[in-house]
Amino acid sequence: MKVLFAEDEKDLQEVVSEFLRFKGYHVTAVDNGAEALEKAKSDAFDAMVFDVMMPVMDGITAMKKIRETGDTTPAIFLTAKSEVEDRIEGLDAGADDYLTKPFSMEELSARLRALYRRKRDYTVRKVSYGNLELDMEQSELKAVNTISLANREMKLLQCLIGSAGEVMSAAALLQEVWPGENTNADACELYISFLRGKLKSVQANVVIEGDRTGGYLLKEI
Amino acid sequence: MEEANSVDIYAGVRPELERIMNRLAGEIGELAKNREGDKLYEHLAFRIKSDESAREKLIRKGFEVTTENALRELKDSIGLRVVCLFVDDVYECVRLIKTIPYVRVFKEKDYISEAKPNGYRSYHMILEVKEETEGKTGGPFYAEIQLRTIAMDTWAALEHELKYKKNIANQEMIVQELHRCANDLAACDVSMQTLRQIIKNL
Repeated sequence: MKVLFAEDEKDLQEVVSEFLRFKGYHVTAVDNGAEALEKAKSDAFDAMVFDVMMPVMDGITAMKKIRETGDTTPAIFLTAKSEVEDRIEGLDAGADDYLTKPFSMEELSARLRALYRRKRDYTVRKVSYGNLELDMEQSELKAVNTISLANREMKLLQCLIGSAGEVMSAAALLQEVWPGENTNADACELYISFLRGKLKSVQANVVIEGDRTGGYLLKEI
Repeated sequence: MEEANSVDIYAGVRPELERIMNRLAGEIGELAKNREGDKLYEHLAFRIKSDESAREKLIRKGFEVTTENALRELKDSIGLRVVCLFVDDVYECVRLIKTIPYVRVFKEKDYISEAKPNGYRSYHMILEVKEETEGKTGGPFYAEIQLRTIAMDTWAALEHELKYKKNIANQEMIVQELHRCANDLAACDVSMQTLRQIIKNL
């Protein structure tokens, strides 16, 4: 389980990271909200733990921005103040849970386990659009016919369905489907071509319009 | 026509069937080429439906076992199979077969764009052969042509093996996995076709 941990107090960051690693988590620790936002964009995590008060960018702003990208990774806030407003703001920004400092690290670990259980149950397994049904568990695309999809084709189509009717740039798709990989729009264009062939093959009433320069648009015909 | 029990179900018509089958196979072999003259298919197989399976199918479908019924009701006494490398080649072969002057497409079904529920994919055509057979022994004659890719052909061969097994343990699981294989193979066929197009345009 990969955890993104944002905390500006160095001592606390080290102790908590060490503890979580000891518990078997892969921890990526950062010092502020801006760094957390960068990491969340470039890598996929199973959970996020953010301090509220941090320099450069506070945890609540970072949380809001991360949620705006469509990222639904479960998140826990650590708040020094026990004020109600702080918790409300954190939860409204998109956090799933909070702990007030000082907190028990065992409790943090237990809350992460609970979030992870819930995430597993709620992970999207089927997405549909037009006459399309995308089964993420079976890697199967269905309209009139059924056909298998490669992992990248599946992620790509999921992104396009997620923003159907809106143009998505090749850069945005690269970031979603090839996170942290050194690749270019050619890869994106190739996988769009694969997807187009497969949409046609299952007789979808959905097409992908556009190209790498103007971006791609998924729409019903 | 007299009952055909112990004798060959095709009786005296067999030589005529064989002649038509060979002519069709030769014709398709000549026609199915691209502009560069390369053949569009990987292999072409043909057969006259066996006496035994013609009788079995007639009984199963509730027809009297006669030569006439074997030729007219079954419509696959002559069978040809065209197996191609790529999906587009299958459709090109279909188009070319339709240009043969002495045949008429009696029926066709595109199980590639509309796969059977078990995952089976192929293009089926039943041709009515209009050549100088009318008024002779048993005309008009029909020929069934199945066209598909190598991947679809491999799948169909495996499914055929399963069909003749009785009382299979885990039948449901095997059928389900076979269906998944059909989807995987179709995915591969489509990806290869896409890449082929890209390579062509390089």
